[in-house]
Amino acid sequence: MSENKKEETFPESLMSFWMKSATDFWGSTYRMWPGGSEPFQSEGLKKQFQRLESAPKMWQSFFSALSAPESVNALFKGMDILPETILQTLQSGWGGYSDLQKEWMEKASRIGKRIEPGKFEDIDKDLFKAWSEIYEKEFRQFLNIPQIGLNRFSQERRGQTLDNLNLYVIAVSEFMNLLNLPVEKSAKAMSEKLGEATEKGELSENFEEYYREWIKILEGHYMVLFKSTEYIQVLNNVLDAGESYSSARNHLIEDILQSYPIATNRDVDELYKEIYLLKKEVKKLSKK
Amino acid sequence: MSEPRIPVDLIVKKLAEDSEKAYKSAQKAYKVLLGPLDTEIATTPHEIVYEEDRIKVKHYKPTTGAKLKTPLLLVYALINRETMLDLQPGRSAIQNFLNEGVEIYMIDWGYPTRKDRYLTIDDHVNGYINNVIDFIRERHNLSKINLMGICMGGTFSVMYSALHPEKVKNLVTTVTPVNFDTDTGLLHVWMKSINVDKMVDTHGNIPADMMNFGFLLLNPARLMIDKYVGFLENVNNKNFVENFIRMEKWIFDSPDIPGETFRQFINDCYKKNLLIKNKMELGGHRVNLKKITMPLFNIYGKFDHLVPPEACERTTKAVGSRDTEDVRLDTGHIGIYVSSKVQKEFAPRISNWLKERDKPEKKSPGRKKTVVRRTVAKTRATVPLPKKEKKKISAQGDTKND
Repeated sequence: MSENKKEETFPESLMSFWMKSATDFWGSTYRMWPGGSEPFQSEGLKKQFQRLESAPKMWQSFFSALSAPESVNALFKGMDILPETILQTLQSGWGGYSDLQKEWMEKASRIGKRIEPGKFEDIDKDLFKAWSEIYEKEFRQFLNIPQIGLNRFSQERRGQTLDNLNLYVIAVSEFMNLLNLPVEKSAKAMSEKLGEATEKGELSENFEEYYREWIKILEGHYMVLFKSTEYIQVLNNVLDAGESYSSARNHLIEDILQSYPIATNRDVDELYKEIYLLKKEVKKLSKK
Repeated sequence: MSEPRIPVDLIVKKLAEDSEKAYKSAQKAYKVLLGPLDTEIATTPHEIVYEEDRIKVKHYKPTTGAKLKTPLLLVYALINRETMLDLQPGRSAIQNFLNEGVEIYMIDWGYPTRKDRYLTIDDHVNGYINNVIDFIRERHNLSKINLMGICMGGTFSVMYSALHPEKVKNLVTTVTPVNFDTDTGLLHVWMKSINVDKMVDTHGNIPADMMNFGFLLLNPARLMIDKYVGFLENVNNKNFVENFIRMEKWIFDSPDIPGETFRQFINDCYKKNLLIKNKMELGGHRVNLKKITMPLFNIYGKFDHLVPPEACERTTKAVGSRDTEDVRLDTGHIGIYVSSKVQKEFAPRISNWLKERDKPEKKSPGRKKTVVRRTVAKTRATVPLPKKEKKKISAQGDTKND
């Protein structure tokens, strides 16, 4: 055995055998096409077939080169260092995940810090404030991560829509909670009145009286609430959040509709504005 | 053994009686709700005599022949519909006007669609209202007609009368806000702080449901709870149910509001209060209330929570006319037009006021008209009033003087 002649080991010979068989198989399959490149009469189709014909040839020569003992040997040498590479990749991946998890844990602990335990005086107010803060400071950024690539605009729109929806849900919850406060307060006032009447033995048997009394108290509480600056602020927040969400959603829908033969609000608004201005001009001219 | 503090026996007895009553009531209600109900609104016969874009003009002929030579044009608000003036026979302001011999034209603003979002107040006042008035003037061969505005329609009528005084013989404003600088009504408080630009930019036209929800929120205890409790209590009363459904039909039959009109109304009126300051501009023309020199009859409700008296009562002082009258009625915003009690005096009072000022004027194109001024001192008691009402007006006058 000459020194230069390389002895093929088991996996190398297997690889070389598989590559040869694969090349032979696809080469034969291609040749099985009836008439080879002849079945197509038109020049265009013939050219297409010739291009197809070149593909298996290229594939065949590529695999033949790969099946050469030197190439196979180089491939297996590369495989020797694979465990090291995998380890390194895993290490950095795991490290990144660990850092991320650590950050999440910190975020979660900050959530806890935003709600003071055992404090119930302003629990509703604090709860919505905390919810809003948690969302805005800990989660909102994820939906506003700068997008890249071909779909960056539509991804951005999706993120913005979801973000605005979340803000709207928070605002609606806060608004509904505020609307519920007079109901709670009037119920409390009524229970106190009933308690007093019970103590004095003056409880009326007519429930309608209690209803009338309750609705009067409720109306009074609402009137006080509606004039408060807090209510006006919350009302404006909910309107603002609703409009932001509506606007973001409309933009998203308009983007989607652009691929369909459907006119969007933006399209028709442009048209309506032109019609409006034209009509105004025509009316003015017709009066002259 | 001491007596229990809670009269349990009485409560139980009452409960038993109530459940018996409720059962009988439910049986009757079942028949009422499943039986034939007359809930039609706006049934007074009329014809459509003018149409332009989405708007129509309804023409009502007096039942007993016209007693006034000058017809009256009613301009309703863009919020809700003019059918409120003709809710049902026996509770119809329109019918009452016709019985008084007043020939009525009324603008039906229709239902704005998205294409109407760019229409401004100028388009409504100097466009539609002006065209309708020209049409009526032409039809009756008159240089001037009587104009009556309702709520926002009243504000439009005030603007129109200031810009086109030569076409308005007498002006009647009912529950009409002209001074928006008041914190009495919640609407005035809320509107000052809303971001109307964002609202209009987002929605185009202001959705009717959004407006309705806003109105319900003005008094949720009464409008969202008590009202329906009242309905359930009277659901076995056919007449009550019919009236209730008619009112529900009207309340929730709400057109959207053209976006640009809403934007301008909120910004210029509610936020900047430009109208009463004579600083509002429509189509490049300043609205100067001093140019309102025709007689003005101003009616508003003492308990109006939408347009409080403070929003209405400065109008007569702000205009240039010397023949003005304020009337404050003991009712609310809608009660003026639908309350059976108020109906007895509302239309007759306006009709009498108009009759006193119904000097015929023939149209003479090309000749500048001289405004007929009644040199009556600025007082609220130019027309004989029932004793009770006189008192109210006097009291209101005192408040104003204070």
